[in-house]
Amino acid sequence: MKKSLKNIAIITVILLLSVNGYSQLDDIKVPLRFDHYYTYDQVVQALKVLHKAYPDLTKLEVVGKSEENREIYALTINNPKTGDELGKPGVYVDGNIHGNELQASEVCLYFLNTLLTKYGNNEKITKLVDKNAYYVIPVVNVDGRYHFYADANTSSSNRGLRRPKDDDRDGLFDEDFPDDLDGDGNICRMRKKDPFGQYKTDPEDPRLMIRVKPGEKGEWTMLGQEGIDNDGDGRVNEDSEGYVDPNRNWSFNWAPQYVQGGAGDYPLSGVGLKGIADFIMQKPNIIIGYAFHNSGGMFLRGPGTKSQGKLHPKDIEVMDWLGENNEKIVPGYRYLVSWKDLYSTYGDFGDFLDNVVGAYTYIGELFMSSSETYRDPEKKTEEEDDMFRGSSNERNREKLKYNDHVAMGELYKEWKEYDHPTYGKIEIGGWVKMSSRLPHPFMLLDLVHRNASAVIFSAEQTPEVEMEVFEIKKIDKTLSRVRIRLVNDKAMPSMSYHSIQKNAYPKDILKLSGQGIKVISGGQLTDNYRDKVNYKEYKPEVQFCQVPGFGKVEYQFLVSGKGNLVIEYESRKAGKIKKQVKL
Amino acid sequence: MKMSRLSYSKTTLFFTLLWLFASVISPGQQTTLDYSKYHQPDEINASLVRLAKQYGQVSRIHDLALSPGKRKLVILEIGNEVNSVDKRLPAVFVVGNMEGIVPISSEAAVYLADLILSDKSYYDGLTWYIMPCGNPDAAMHYFNRPLVKDARNDLQHNDDMDEFTDEDGWNDLNGDGWITQMRVKDPEGIWVLVESDPRLMRKADYSKGEKGIYKLYDEGIDDDRDGKFYEDGPGGVNVGVNFPHLFKHFTATGGLWSGSVDESYKLMKFVTDHPEIAMTFTLGSTNFCLVPPKGGRKGSVDLNRIKIPKRFTEMFGADPDKSYSMSEIIEMVKPIVPEGFEITESVVAGFLGLGAVVNPMKEDLVFYTDFSEKYKKYLKEKGAEIDRLDPEPAKDGSFELWSYYHLGLPTFSMDFWTLPKVKEKKGKKDGLTSDQLKKMSNEEFLALEKDKIEAYLKEVGAPKQFQADMVINMVKGGRMTPAKIAEMADKMKDDKKPEAGKPDPKMKALVTFSDSVINGKGYVNWSLYNHPTLGEVEIGGPVPFTDNTPPATMIDSLLSLQVPWILEIVKKMPDLKILKTELKPQGAGVYELKVWVENKSFIPIPTAMGKRNQRPPPILIILSGKDFELLSGKNRTTISDLPGLKSKKFTWLLKSEKGSVINIELKTPNARGDMKQIEIGGGK
Repeated sequence: MKKSLKNIAIITVILLLSVNGYSQLDDIKVPLRFDHYYTYDQVVQALKVLHKAYPDLTKLEVVGKSEENREIYALTINNPKTGDELGKPGVYVDGNIHGNELQASEVCLYFLNTLLTKYGNNEKITKLVDKNAYYVIPVVNVDGRYHFYADANTSSSNRGLRRPKDDDRDGLFDEDFPDDLDGDGNICRMRKKDPFGQYKTDPEDPRLMIRVKPGEKGEWTMLGQEGIDNDGDGRVNEDSEGYVDPNRNWSFNWAPQYVQGGAGDYPLSGVGLKGIADFIMQKPNIIIGYAFHNSGGMFLRGPGTKSQGKLHPKDIEVMDWLGENNEKIVPGYRYLVSWKDLYSTYGDFGDFLDNVVGAYTYIGELFMSSSETYRDPEKKTEEEDDMFRGSSNERNREKLKYNDHVAMGELYKEWKEYDHPTYGKIEIGGWVKMSSRLPHPFMLLDLVHRNASAVIFSAEQTPEVEMEVFEIKKIDKTLSRVRIRLVNDKAMPSMSYHSIQKNAYPKDILKLSGQGIKVISGGQLTDNYRDKVNYKEYKPEVQFCQVPGFGKVEYQFLVSGKGNLVIEYESRKAGKIKKQVKL
Repeated sequence: MKMSRLSYSKTTLFFTLLWLFASVISPGQQTTLDYSKYHQPDEINASLVRLAKQYGQVSRIHDLALSPGKRKLVILEIGNEVNSVDKRLPAVFVVGNMEGIVPISSEAAVYLADLILSDKSYYDGLTWYIMPCGNPDAAMHYFNRPLVKDARNDLQHNDDMDEFTDEDGWNDLNGDGWITQMRVKDPEGIWVLVESDPRLMRKADYSKGEKGIYKLYDEGIDDDRDGKFYEDGPGGVNVGVNFPHLFKHFTATGGLWSGSVDESYKLMKFVTDHPEIAMTFTLGSTNFCLVPPKGGRKGSVDLNRIKIPKRFTEMFGADPDKSYSMSEIIEMVKPIVPEGFEITESVVAGFLGLGAVVNPMKEDLVFYTDFSEKYKKYLKEKGAEIDRLDPEPAKDGSFELWSYYHLGLPTFSMDFWTLPKVKEKKGKKDGLTSDQLKKMSNEEFLALEKDKIEAYLKEVGAPKQFQADMVINMVKGGRMTPAKIAEMADKMKDDKKPEAGKPDPKMKALVTFSDSVINGKGYVNWSLYNHPTLGEVEIGGPVPFTDNTPPATMIDSLLSLQVPWILEIVKKMPDLKILKTELKPQGAGVYELKVWVENKSFIPIPTAMGKRNQRPPPILIILSGKDFELLSGKNRTTISDLPGLKSKKFTWLLKSEKGSVINIELKTPNARGDMKQIEIGGGK
């Protein structure tokens, strides 16, 4: 008897979970599925099954723990047969630094799934995996993701870190979270019937409310987010988790809270972020980074603030070229400049990766709510969902019809009566948390595939340097002139121009050595028809260089002696080359 | 065994008496360190451990961090709450030697600990956290040979971005145990000898037709043969400039980011984890007790004249060409944000990208200036005239700047010794000084003789355009104040690099001191040396640390003079009191409750900077008790600030049928608070 009850319980749980679009834990296997969202535990499970299925190509590590002691995982893909990971360009991808921005992790998982499952069957992917080292952290804000699922939320809440902060300056910490009054797992809106209210029922869709015109009789007062005044201070839901915004807590160009809201008390005060920073600093080969967020449909590049000045024009060329291609791969997404087209942010992750590590970083804002349509294909609409001004009445009506007829009504909760301890008879309703910034699961596959393809496009453009000793000319009995060309036929240079300008780390090294051989002079060959060389004053046998994207650089040496001349090229991000020639 | 006191020798008695007069520490108390010598970082730490053992009930050791060179950073906590996790008393946080190049500051920190523990009234009602050495790796250089002054910790760092790390440091070529300088005759040289003292060098004055003769280098060889000397020494990061305010990225020794080394990261974590910290002291090379923190930096936003970026003007209904005040902008923004969203200064500043405060707030300079005057008076009364070179201004990325600008706490600092000033033969006794100008009104300034103003401008080295006439007109027209002139002069003095034609006054002071006080041991006379690549050079120059570290015999007297002033400042910590309460029955069981609260101290809480950055914890009045109900007002009322020596009044309306006892608590984590109880009789 007991056993069948237990079975019934299990089946019930499984059915309940699948209703919400969750997959059961033991259902996760390779290849991964992308018709649902993964909880934190399911992401961990997915990484584990990927690692188990491809043990030779992957490494799974815990890079740190969060404030609530949850583990932050990184999966590294590298083919040891084509070299050690640090000897290759590094590609970094992460997501979900804001706890509510879920689909970012699915993009990371799809990217990993693609590289691993297609390895050996797809020539392009096989070459790609052999070429770079990949570092992927699908969930940066593990507490945020966990609580977004486990607690009632709006699609925008649970964004920050679980670091207690007295937001309302009443001496209490995180004492007034939103309250799920009707227990449906969502934080919706509250409204109350009020003849003096500023809103009235929309004549077209009774679920909506529109503002009254001057002189018009009102019907509703909006009471705000679902909740009660937990601390009796007259305000509702004013002190929830934090507020520390993990994407303002990074240590490059960090500014204190009063200049940059959510910055935290000092750079990298977030313990999980510190762990990730330490991990990243072990991978100086990272040259391209993607950090995924929602929403809006953008690929953003830095700098994060105007005060940092413009990026080097040659770096802008690289970012423009990749960014404009991304716009073609993910139609509708716009390639923009972070501080200019959006707003200034101090201490964000993009600036950290660009400046401290010397990478090219894109922030991907996933999903455009304008794709939630229900309209006559002939009709052109100007209505947009503006990030700052919100949506127009027209758009709201359309979105509700989309909810009804395309999303099976799963995105919107009908207004229902509720007896509120302070306000009395009210109604609760509105958009649920798995909506608005998150596409309905049926759109997920398109989103993850296209964005992973954008990352793949960039990953193909990491620097590939070839060395050609294109001339050895004897000057006299023992003196030779050696000319060496380093060619890079990919878009990214072997070192960003910004890093060179700031002297952020040593440049690439071109070194000549050999038994019985002495380098008399050497330098960059700027015009090989006219023999123009920028001679290096000291130690000509060691040259500091950079190989431009889609370009070349040439060096000339005057070498005395006979025998084997060993030529070595070593780059932090573009690998190593060693050649020998006989003099 | 009878010990006859009469058998003590006269010499012993003499030295005992001398020690008594020299030290302010209670007679009979053994100090944990012998303040007649300098101590290595591990000796300093051991001294703290001894103190903690001796005074176990009221002291406790915190192991804060380990440096890259595996040296411990140790904090000594002193107070009556050492064993409580819940701190109710405010605290003072003292750090020493953050750059690791000021040995006397570590001694001073331990001296302070000795002093505090000698009398329990010094830690009555407050907690002390004392960390004597913030950069132990760098501090060790003072005790190693060859002697070199280098602020970097032991973290390996490739300073010159070549193919090696830490490959080209100092070399003691002449084996004298010091790293000094080399001068070489070189066609590209810019230095010439100072006529009055050929040991000193000055830059050639091309405008006078002089040609440079010498190049100056740090003593060493070009270890990596790249043409540069000592460009990539061993280490590391200067912990003392690794803090977030005005932190500079991409420097050779500043560190990758603020808090990139454990010494600074864990320190910031500790301070943040202890919100009871009410005040900080930094012992090193700055002196906010003597010289108020300097302003004059560009970039501070004037909150009364903000321009709104074009892309927001339409949204706010604002004019892109007009300047608005912060409060005006808050009013503009309120109608367009979702309800319940709180608009504060901080939110607006963040949204508009206004940037950080970089100059001390005017209102805070009031107490800094007042204390500085009092300190000068105190020193004068003790017979110590201030005739030494000025303390250094705070460095960008320093701990004291972080404490003031980011924590918003009353931040003080102290240096203990600099080179004595060289007395100029011609004394302009009645010349104008910057200090006088700072206190002058416009009218007083305009009443001065033009000659005096001219002489002053010449003395401070004002640029040629700033003639007396021009300055007078600017003051007349209200475009300039005397205080502003003095401020600009101070700023110029700090920025002054040794001018062409004049020897560096600091070097002049150094050789004078070396010759007259320490028997020439502060400066090495130039002597020939055959350098492997430079050929014939002369090695000589200042001995490291001569400019900031006095002979060990002076330590005790310097500390006994200056360290006690720290206790005077700490006495001025904000002290909150409930001044008066008034309960007025209104009838029907309704009462009006008025409470006056005051800050009994001169230092405001929070400081004006703390008010601006909203970082210090809030001040609260909390009403609690049974059988009463608030009709108007809140149980927890936040007080935005209590300026020094000011009071504020708060009013509630409450109802109590049966009568009640109300607890009124005035509290904040980082100040002494107060509590009162009021009885209400039952009402009808």
